[in-house]
Amino acid sequence: MTSRNKLVRIFIGNAANAVVHKVLEKAIEEENLRKYYEKEVHNSFLIAKKYREMINPVGRALPESEDIKADIVKKAKQELNIRIKKGYKNIDIDSVSPATEKLLKKLKANKA
Amino acid sequence: MFILKKYKVPRKNKAGPLHEFLLFSAFCNKNNSLSASESLIYYYVILRNMANEIIARISIGSRMDQVYLPKNRPMALSIGSYVVVSPAIQQKEIKPHYYHTRQIEPIKAQIVQEIFRNIDAENVIIAGSFLEKGFCFEDIDIIVINGKAEGLEEFIEGNFGLKAHVIRMSQDALRAGLNTDPLFQMALSRFAAKERVIFKIQPEIKHKLLDIHLLKSKTLPEQFEHLEGKDKYKLTRNLFAIKLFLEEKTATKEKVSKAIDAWFGKGTVKMLSANTLSKNPFITKYKKAYRKVFNAIMAGISNNDKQKQAG
Repeated sequence: MTSRNKLVRIFIGNAANAVVHKVLEKAIEEENLRKYYEKEVHNSFLIAKKYREMINPVGRALPESEDIKADIVKKAKQELNIRIKKGYKNIDIDSVSPATEKLLKKLKANKA
Repeated sequence: MFILKKYKVPRKNKAGPLHEFLLFSAFCNKNNSLSASESLIYYYVILRNMANEIIARISIGSRMDQVYLPKNRPMALSIGSYVVVSPAIQQKEIKPHYYHTRQIEPIKAQIVQEIFRNIDAENVIIAGSFLEKGFCFEDIDIIVINGKAEGLEEFIEGNFGLKAHVIRMSQDALRAGLNTDPLFQMALSRFAAKERVIFKIQPEIKHKLLDIHLLKSKTLPEQFEHLEGKDKYKLTRNLFAIKLFLEEKTATKEKVSKAIDAWFGKGTVKMLSANTLSKNPFITKYKKAYRKVFNAIMAGISNNDKQKQAG
């Protein structure tokens, strides 16, 4: 695996984490806990951003943006489904795709 | 008139301004040349010259800051003389309370004092790697309890060239954090406080909170080759702090390190930090630990929800 491909894979993992954090944030009822989630959403976004900045082209959309988006959605859904199976309530699995889209736009990774 | 300037009190008579004034009065009476007001001015001048001190303010300059001196000033402060500049107001000494911090370098102790002096709050706590031996810390973690922290990060960066991570919170939030968050607990296992504090930790497991913390550690296996040693250690530490917390043990840095070494083998913490650990055996054991902790959290969430429904 080339270095770029490896970085893309790591970026996908971290972006999926950020999306999972975002979706779980909405599933939280307790106000105090929600504050922690906000912080974690921000932290995971920063990690994903760090890896995005290592992948060329930096300021423009990535050529494989559609594949990347599909992989992030798949990974995030997988992670959330494990939780749903284990009895975690109020998880809105349909919000994964729009959350991913929004994240990639922020990270300048997808086509406008 | 300017005989006054030439007037010098003999060295042996320099006992104080009053003595000097009496000597001068005797000199005036003898010469009968000065009025009462002139003698008063003279006396005033003597007092000023004897004081040899001026209180001035440091003002900001473009390349250097400066202190402006009035033209009418004690002779001892004439052009070309060397002076000492020191603060006019003595700052109140603050004695920090250190907890589980055996030794701190003098320069760090000074920084701690300066930070405490410049924050107006009910209490201020400094924690994290800054208090560990040596200078391998990334930033200073500062918790400001019930107080103002505006511009604090800039102040610390400007004065000490260090990055600060400032969190403002109430006493209740601090207590809640210590009771529910293993990472917070671990961060506060060693700290310096402006005011004396006693923490009574009553652990309360919030599984959903632990779930979000654990999620961070999930990415370690696939990023292993790209991460620096300290990041690998942080992610592993995160996982084991949560593990200890679930086992109802207090998560201190030392206990977490011991738990890591017990799980992976002796010397793992050192090798992780030094980034000299081989991937495969470590990752296999890591995934096993992750699964165990994750399953325990999920079981907790499921139980809580069932209890809520039954209630």
